[in-house]
Amino acid sequence: MKKSTQKFLSLGLALSLVFSLTACGSKEESKKDDVTPTTPAGDNTATTESTQSVTSDVEKPATINVMVDGTVFTEPQGRAQFESALEAELGIDIVFTQPDHSGYYDSVGLTFSGGNWPDVVILGGSYYANYASAGLLADLTEYWDNSELKASGRITNESAMESIKIDGKLYGFTPSRGNGCVTYVKKAWLDKAGLEVPTTYDEYLNMLKVFTESDMNDSGDPSNTYGVSAAGLIGVEAPYTNYLPEFYQDAYPDFTKDENGTWIDGFSTDSMKAALQRLKDAYEAGYIDKETITNGTKDCRNKFFDDKFGVFTYWAGTWASTLESNLEANNLDKELVQIAPIKEVGAYVERQAPAWCITTKAKNPAGIFKYFFETMLDGGAVQTLWTYGVKGVHWDDKAETIKLTDTDSVSFEEGQFHMLASLEKPDTLLKKAHIDPMLSFATYVDNADPGIASVDEVARKSSEAFNAHCTAAPVIISNDVMNEYNADLWDLRTQIVTKVVTGGVSVEDGMNEYLTKSANMVSEILESLNE
Amino acid sequence: MKGSASMSIKRAKKVPVSRKPLSARIYTHRWFYVMFLPVLVFIGLFNYLPMYFIKYSFYDYKMAQEPVYVGLKHFQKLLKKEDFITAFFNTFELSIVKLLLNTFMAVIISLLLNEMKNLKAKKAVQTLIYLPHFMSWVVTASVFRLILSPSNEGLVNSLLVSMGVIDKSEMIYFLAEEKWWRPVFYMINIWKDTGWGTIIYLATLSGISPDQYEAAGIDGANRWEQMRYITLPSLANTIITVLILNLAKIMNLFESVFVLYNSAVYSVSDVCQTFVYRQTFGGGIPNYGYTTAVGLLRSLVGCVLVLLCNYASKKVRGRGIV
Repeated sequence: MKKSTQKFLSLGLALSLVFSLTACGSKEESKKDDVTPTTPAGDNTATTESTQSVTSDVEKPATINVMVDGTVFTEPQGRAQFESALEAELGIDIVFTQPDHSGYYDSVGLTFSGGNWPDVVILGGSYYANYASAGLLADLTEYWDNSELKASGRITNESAMESIKIDGKLYGFTPSRGNGCVTYVKKAWLDKAGLEVPTTYDEYLNMLKVFTESDMNDSGDPSNTYGVSAAGLIGVEAPYTNYLPEFYQDAYPDFTKDENGTWIDGFSTDSMKAALQRLKDAYEAGYIDKETITNGTKDCRNKFFDDKFGVFTYWAGTWASTLESNLEANNLDKELVQIAPIKEVGAYVERQAPAWCITTKAKNPAGIFKYFFETMLDGGAVQTLWTYGVKGVHWDDKAETIKLTDTDSVSFEEGQFHMLASLEKPDTLLKKAHIDPMLSFATYVDNADPGIASVDEVARKSSEAFNAHCTAAPVIISNDVMNEYNADLWDLRTQIVTKVVTGGVSVEDGMNEYLTKSANMVSEILESLNE
Repeated sequence: MKGSASMSIKRAKKVPVSRKPLSARIYTHRWFYVMFLPVLVFIGLFNYLPMYFIKYSFYDYKMAQEPVYVGLKHFQKLLKKEDFITAFFNTFELSIVKLLLNTFMAVIISLLLNEMKNLKAKKAVQTLIYLPHFMSWVVTASVFRLILSPSNEGLVNSLLVSMGVIDKSEMIYFLAEEKWWRPVFYMINIWKDTGWGTIIYLATLSGISPDQYEAAGIDGANRWEQMRYITLPSLANTIITVLILNLAKIMNLFESVFVLYNSAVYSVSDVCQTFVYRQTFGGGIPNYGYTTAVGLLRSLVGCVLVLLCNYASKKVRGRGIV
């Protein structure tokens, strides 16, 4: 080999190594050592001194590192424009980290295992409770209690914040309610079957039977349809039973308090046994989609749009309108009946809202709360950004005609607030940004919400109907013992439900297996909860 | 004859040992050392440095908490856990059967391809069978979920119904029935990876001297005998090498299982890696010490397997590859 070639290759390889290793490094590394931890969730001694200063002299943070899921605008949806507009309004450099929505909690877990924690992170349901109990989240109770937002008189539903309190303490901020699932029935199917809207379980089951045994989609083959589908027989995320509420009814498959205030394992109750029997009977009769175990939510939606089944329990509000528009796009009758909860269900469950949390490694939690969290509901420009997005990118109020497809366009007059075509799916109009205008728990200053009139009528009615028939999901609890056994316990519960419903195992045998295998874990957890 | 052959063998020239000091020799070949440096650093950083963290398998290590030494607690807990034992043996069974089936099919297809005389047809077939390898497992799973769906849309079930093998009400849920999951898993793996596996065997086959076949033909050997006495023995070394190299990886089974399994078939499908995944991300605050212990146990077994195979190879063939 020529000497010059040797030199060239050697230096080239060495330089490529240096560059690749530089890419592995992190610009946040230098921040590690000078972190001042705030009050962790597990710490019961409140730092009154630091929180008292919140209201008086709170320093505005220069930069906030924020880890968010896909509920905030993603890059294809115009996150860059949103970020710029937000930074301009707040005067803060917001650094977003946005992993893929479906793998969000895996990424959060890995991030917290390393040293580079974000200042702010969105956490839903059990993750919020688990992270709080592990002392990873700052206590925000005092910040909220002393906040201008709380005292503003614009709060319409304080229960949203109350619902995320753990032992009376707040470890997160939620700018909107949690929403929940309602049961939609295709009106065309109901009419064809000559059925009324079901009000009891028997009527509901009869509806499923007719939908399963009749040629509801006019394919000429009665075996082509079934009553209901869901993404899994049981959820692993609270409130667990929201996709098949008519079957679960009063059963709650996690730890809950009985009428005496004692913690019990809801999975081993008689209610749960009855729920499993209902699911088993309906599955064996073919009323429930055979592929429920392997379905994802997208699979269910696609089957619904393909007219494979007629009853779908899914999110209320904006989704009502999305479901209808997709049915219409598939040349089907788009009308859906959002049924009131059947007698045995009583009320739909409103999940605990995902919370914006400040990690215990954030340097200035008071500043983040005041200048980042509170401003989300400032009743003005920033609330508009979080609710509708950026003017000219996500919404506008100028006269224009938006062409969605070759045959479909919508026109708006000058001054009429309207959402623009989605940057990601240009054939549909955008419906909302991070905060659903119908779920926000703070009104605008002088009720001057610029876009509320543009909210789709179907979505608005759906939301109102849900609000009229909902109850808050049981508060999710967590402690060290639960954290230790959570994965094993949910593995076991999921397996038991699957075995009983689809595998030919009787409810009695399934429950006996559960009791045998979970005995030690459950007794340890109950002991820790009841002590 | 023997004598003349040995006479023709010349003793190899001994490489002269440099009398220069080491530093001088390094300086002389400095650019080669610079060239080697990136590899050395990469191996050190990404292969050896992580081994240091194996120590956490003896600790309780949770987020934001100082690791606490717990000795063999995690290993004791693991070995008592029925789910882990199931996952452990599933890993063995699924990996080894998959490896043997894939190797067997790859060899068969290589032999068939080798017999093809039409070069264009051969290239076309090769391209077709390589293609599935480039599909991600997620896409593969989606495609097979559709094909195997227990509904009128499922190709396999529809065929079985139309052929009268099963009734419409008895459609098989291939991916959620214990007795079907493994055969389906093996079949999908064969479809996806066999083509790719043929590359190395085809390369070996193309290296076999045509003279041997010619001589065998003159001696009256038919196609089958030529394959049996020339082709297969020539392939044997490659097959054993590939098997041993793949054995080192058998405990790494994850993606293909993860995208195809579900709670109905855990007992036949759950493997060590999917078990660790659920333990880590299945809710609660993960204890990385515990999951590291699973990883360490897995690596040890993989290591023992390779050494055993190498030992077996030495016994059978007189030499190993490690």
